[in-house]
Amino acid sequence: MSLLRTLRIGVLARALEEILQVPSQAFGYPLLQPKGLSREAREGLVKVCPSGAFFEEEGIFSLDLARCVGCGRCALVYPEAVGEMKTLEVAVVRREDLVQRVDLAAQAFLDPGPPPPPRPELRLPTLAFREVSAGDTGLADSEIALLGNPFNDMARFGFQVVASPRHGDALLVTGPVSRNMAQALERTYQAMPEPKGVVAVGNEAIAGGVFAESPEVWAGVDRVVPVDVYVPGDPPRPGAILHGLLLLTGRVVQRLVGGVVR
Amino acid sequence: MEAVKEALQEGRPVAYFPYGEGALLLVERRRSLEAFPLGQGRRLPSLAAEFPSLDWFERALWERGLELVGHPGLRPLRRHDLPYAFREFPHLHEVPVGPVHAGIIEPGHFRFSVLGERILNLEIRLGYQHRGLLGIMPGKGPEAALLLAERAGGEPVAHALAFAEAWERALGIEAPPRAQYLRRAALELERAFGHLGHLAGLFTDIGYAYGATQVGRIRALLQGEVDRLTGHRYGRNFIRAGGVWREGRPDLEALSRYQKELDWLLPRLLKHPQVLDRMRYVGVVRRVEALALGFVGPTARASGVERDLRQDDALYPAFVPVVRQGGDVLSRAQVYAEEALQALEYALRFLHQRAEGPLAVEVEAGDGEGMARVEAGRGEVFWFVRLEEGRVVQAEGVDPSFKNWRALELAVRGEGLPDFPLCNKSFDLSYAGNDL
Repeated sequence: MSLLRTLRIGVLARALEEILQVPSQAFGYPLLQPKGLSREAREGLVKVCPSGAFFEEEGIFSLDLARCVGCGRCALVYPEAVGEMKTLEVAVVRREDLVQRVDLAAQAFLDPGPPPPPRPELRLPTLAFREVSAGDTGLADSEIALLGNPFNDMARFGFQVVASPRHGDALLVTGPVSRNMAQALERTYQAMPEPKGVVAVGNEAIAGGVFAESPEVWAGVDRVVPVDVYVPGDPPRPGAILHGLLLLTGRVVQRLVGGVVR
Repeated sequence: MEAVKEALQEGRPVAYFPYGEGALLLVERRRSLEAFPLGQGRRLPSLAAEFPSLDWFERALWERGLELVGHPGLRPLRRHDLPYAFREFPHLHEVPVGPVHAGIIEPGHFRFSVLGERILNLEIRLGYQHRGLLGIMPGKGPEAALLLAERAGGEPVAHALAFAEAWERALGIEAPPRAQYLRRAALELERAFGHLGHLAGLFTDIGYAYGATQVGRIRALLQGEVDRLTGHRYGRNFIRAGGVWREGRPDLEALSRYQKELDWLLPRLLKHPQVLDRMRYVGVVRRVEALALGFVGPTARASGVERDLRQDDALYPAFVPVVRQGGDVLSRAQVYAEEALQALEYALRFLHQRAEGPLAVEVEAGDGEGMARVEAGRGEVFWFVRLEEGRVVQAEGVDPSFKNWRALELAVRGEGLPDFPLCNKSFDLSYAGNDL
């Protein structure tokens, strides 16, 4: 009976291209439209964003993808100023590459230059990783766990979770790093053998997210341990996390430069 | 004082937070909520020695600077800058576990005192997830405050719903009927999604790969429908004060197909000899314990406590809670399975009969106080807000896990150490929800 059912269900694993796509009904990541940033739109955007992802200073208007909660209200209210990036290939090795900066005078994106290459010693055919949740609500953890389900099946790409940091090549960290978890996170990192990589998964891990102002958090994994790859999202979809792991192992190139797909 | 004790004898505490000069204790007795302002000048009489259900509430208050007179053993709950001493058993072996665990879960520390492989005592120390959420609430407007409320615990829809309802009650407004239906539909989908996760986790922990894969497969498909309805894989950014933000189009046919498949699958999986052998009579929480310690949600219902907040909700006419008497891991699994099916049925019903009309009403800035309770997958979510000119002055939330963590301490007593992960999974408590 089970065999028949299994045959009827068929192969569930989805192709990598499909995993890396944002489904049609969901909002991907916002994308500034340099030509549409009128004064009115800029002031409106700063007000409409519930998580404060838009900033303006000295003629430069910027959008920090690591502060975006993905509600999509900016694109709904100001369609001429904000578009949408429908991609999950958003992992980066440099924090600046998550910030879109528009020079208002030139009406163009600022280019921070080519990103540094991934670390050569982490170019591995397989990757064993340990996960540490440091103040995460449990959703980013859940998305990492879902990488192992039959649809995503990360084992195909050589990724597996290990129970001990001593067996790990990489450390995935979620959450804004609560003060009470900082020491445990540091000791987990120290317990890992070299070479080791660290992936900050989710906005809270990158810069604290909505908890950035709280005195109880460090607001960013890179304030406690060095980070190699940042995966933005709230929480990032499994595809984005998978892209982060592929980027860490040097199997894909970074797509986002200065917050924009280039 | 006598009135408080009387209420606590028959009921259970719902919330206990600083209020005015002292603190406000909310007790549920015979399905209705009673409020008792206690204490003066930040001094409170402690009742924890008589009513253990208040122990963690009082420790949390003490940590926040209130004086608890006569508490039997004050120790910090969330703050790690205060000294903490574990209970010591000189003749037993101690097994410390955590805060970083072997699986992909949140952090917490478990101290087992074992004789051979038998657990004689478990002490749980949490607080690793403490992000100071309540501390950064003041000054926030409705949208920014909801972002925080959605991150209070593992169930964003339930937290957002309770918070939005508290906000609406503070201002004396009500969400339009269409929004009410959509909110409840999202809540029920979240419940089904969460419960299937608990079941898949339980099957993984007993090494029953077939069950874990099948349940996990349908759960992943169901998550796609949550995504279609709310635009987020976990239902964030969906509920707002005054209504909902959007109306997605979930595939109703697919939902009823999943329900049918689960209806066929789950009872069979839970009768598998391997499942019965590993889950029955393991991790028992007795009914008296559930009542005395004020457990909520499926944990209480699997121990024979017939209480579900949906009994009081007008949108669920003639609601019948799922109750089991065993109190063991199997009973909790049965409650999860049956509630998941029931939740899908309600979700379908709400999506079919959603009324026409606006998605939300405008929320004016105003003053007021409001509180709301919502039955989340794990139990009762509580939020209280006090507003001034449309901004938060004080917000207090209680996650169901805060009330249920001690169920795990009781359930593992006398069990073998290797059964701990199974017991832990059967409650599937939120660490962040407890630590806030």
